[in-house]
Amino acid sequence: MSEQPPIPRPDQRPLPPAPGAGQRRIVLPPHRQRARRPRSVRVREWVRKNLFPSTAGTLLTLVAGAIMGAILVGVIVFVFFGANWEVITHNRWLLFAGGFPHEEAWRLWVSIAVVFALIGAAYGTWSSFGRRDHLFVLVVGGFVIFLMAHGGAAIWSTVYFLIAIGCMYLGYAATVWMPRETSTLRTLQQRIVGGLLAISLPIVLVILLVGGEVGPRHIDGFVLNLILAPVGIVGGVLLGIPLALGRASRMRSISLTCTAYIEIVRGAPLLGWLFVALFILDDVIGGDLIIRAMVVMAVFTGAYMAEYIRGALQALPRGQFEAAQAVGLTPTQSTRLIVMPQALRISIPPMVGQAISIWKDTTLVTVILPLRELKGNADSAIAQFEFTPDRIEAYVFVAVIFWIVAFAMSRISQRVERAQGVGER
Amino acid sequence: MAEELSPADIIAESAGPKGAPPQPAANGDGADVFSPRLAGSKDMIVTEHVDKWFGDFQALDDVSLRIKEEEIVVILGPSGSGKSTYIRCLNRLEEHDAGRIVIDGIEMNEDVRALAAIRSEVGMVFQQFNLFPHLSVLSNITLGPQKVRHVPKLEAEALAMQLLERVGIPEQADKFPSQLSGGQQQRVAIARALAMQPKIMLFDEPTSALDPEMIKEVLDVMQELAESGMTMIVVTHEMGFAREVADRLVFFDEGALVEQGTPEHFFTNPREERTKLFLSQIL
Ligand SMILES: Nc1ncnc2c1ncn2[C@@H]1O[C@H](COP(=O)(O)OP(=O)(O)OP(=O)(O)O)[C@@H](O)[C@H]1O
Ligand SMILES: [Mg+2]
Repeated sequence: MSEQPPIPRPDQRPLPPAPGAGQRRIVLPPHRQRARRPRSVRVREWVRKNLFPSTAGTLLTLVAGAIMGAILVGVIVFVFFGANWEVITHNRWLLFAGGFPHEEAWRLWVSIAVVFALIGAAYGTWSSFGRRDHLFVLVVGGFVIFLMAHGGAAIWSTVYFLIAIGCMYLGYAATVWMPRETSTLRTLQQRIVGGLLAISLPIVLVILLVGGEVGPRHIDGFVLNLILAPVGIVGGVLLGIPLALGRASRMRSISLTCTAYIEIVRGAPLLGWLFVALFILDDVIGGDLIIRAMVVMAVFTGAYMAEYIRGALQALPRGQFEAAQAVGLTPTQSTRLIVMPQALRISIPPMVGQAISIWKDTTLVTVILPLRELKGNADSAIAQFEFTPDRIEAYVFVAVIFWIVAFAMSRISQRVERAQGVGER
Repeated sequence: MAEELSPADIIAESAGPKGAPPQPAANGDGADVFSPRLAGSKDMIVTEHVDKWFGDFQALDDVSLRIKEEEIVVILGPSGSGKSTYIRCLNRLEEHDAGRIVIDGIEMNEDVRALAAIRSEVGMVFQQFNLFPHLSVLSNITLGPQKVRHVPKLEAEALAMQLLERVGIPEQADKFPSQLSGGQQQRVAIARALAMQPKIMLFDEPTSALDPEMIKEVLDVMQELAESGMTMIVVTHEMGFAREVADRLVFFDEGALVEQGTPEHFFTNPREERTKLFLSQIL
């Protein structure tokens, strides 16, 4: 339509000159090949600028290099020559699943395969595996397989683990071919993968616990960390949404209640609330200790998530609410369709921070409750007579495992942010 | 003085003997028809003695205005004069404190069903576009029809494509608002409002946030809309648009409706000192 000749406009001030709309960004094709400096020159340049810019800079580089080199050498010597990893390989089942019955181990493997497949599908749908992701899978997978295969007793576990990794790539392959342009099929794919992700936690709990001889009290070792943290995070977000809306509500009674909840829960550390789970909740709701720990995790995380979401709600421009009203949406509709999706997106980074923090805090259940997660079972491992000297190995292993998961969470969240960035204003 | 007497001039003349305090145009039926083409039209918007307070600041002071079906009204006034507040009262983004507002025969009051009916008849375009950044252009437009009017998805999308065609950017349907230029975003916002098939369109400075070269593409769409018979109230500083498209100009100052008349009346022979001062600054 902007192609039409302008309607003659007699007797007026000329409008500011309006060149054809949309032709504002003019990009010319490159008009000559520009020579690049040879690689060796560029490398030399970089090194000089970044490492040896001045006498002081050179000195700092040398000192830092010496320190890092010493640490690296120390670590390599410790890992490959000094350490006795028997404490880990011998206790691998204790560390991984503790009291989970051996004959029900298939439940663990199926759960892991399902989760891996979903992670692959999520990557295939909204992002893509890069070289670094493959490297991460290779290194971590190799590390895990080495631990499992060591001593030869757990060949089947190794096979199952490989199958689970295969499931991840299957999930990826099944989704990644879809063209990214909006289409009915693409929308359907996003709905299905998103829906499965949303219910993945209940699915895993069903696979782990329904039927057979297993109950919540069998969830043990690293599996307990892997269950507690997602329950805390997902439960926290689900609690946080209504709490944030409630605190922002115009009805005083609702906003006071939500404010009180948030401030009271944030007023004590998780440690304190786990004491409450141990002593008070027993009389109030009873139930399995693990269930009580889950409730406390979710309740605790919920208060923080609520504050992040509320911050995001306040950051939303008023025009969004007004546009929704002007289009005729009811307040409920505009909250559900306009406000919440945007608020959740804005609050992803702080919520991931909270998620990583609660992931590490799952070790606290060992401190307070007679529950055994990874760190607790590592304590048991080194309590065995022959492994008492291997304290360092056990804790280094636990630290590395926690770091791997925390790092993966942070990487995934970066991907989520980037994938969501498309619709950013 | 213009050769022909415009209705506004007649009103201005008949408002009282010379030297009498200036009166806003009388509100009797038919007395405020400013364009012959609207002679038989019914009243679309009636506001009577509307007041609006923000705390103890009076943003609207006894504003009375009747707008005919298919009429194009441009509201002028200095910053803070209550222009936005007035048109925001017309779809109850602001609640008025006193007086009556009747939209197409529906009385504006506490009744939520009346409000829903009014909102579905009144579309609004904002200075800052206010598109939903997390939805594609197409979804921005189909959201209202699907969720409020319960139009089936495919039908809503067909309508949205038609509207995008009409505002000249059908090829942008699958993009997100952030990927469009300001002018394109504002045209999407117009399409979004039109998708609810309103009888009235409110524009609050629709081109003020745009780069100069994009203003025309939005004004062209608005002009086309005006020619199609839409009732429109436009707050704008685009005097070219006001002069060419408007049936009537209304001048607000300090919350009050100070003067109204045809574009010709305003540009050749404004009556009030405040109007003259304002026009001298803007022209
Ligand atoms: N929500 C509010 N709370 C308090 N005061 C307000 C509010 N909205 C508007 N006002 C005041 O009411 C007066 C009229 O505002 P309004 O936005 O209607 O002016 P306007 O004519 O649209 O001005 P502009 O040309 O700057 O958009 C201004 O003095 C403004 O400060
Ligand atoms: Mg305004």
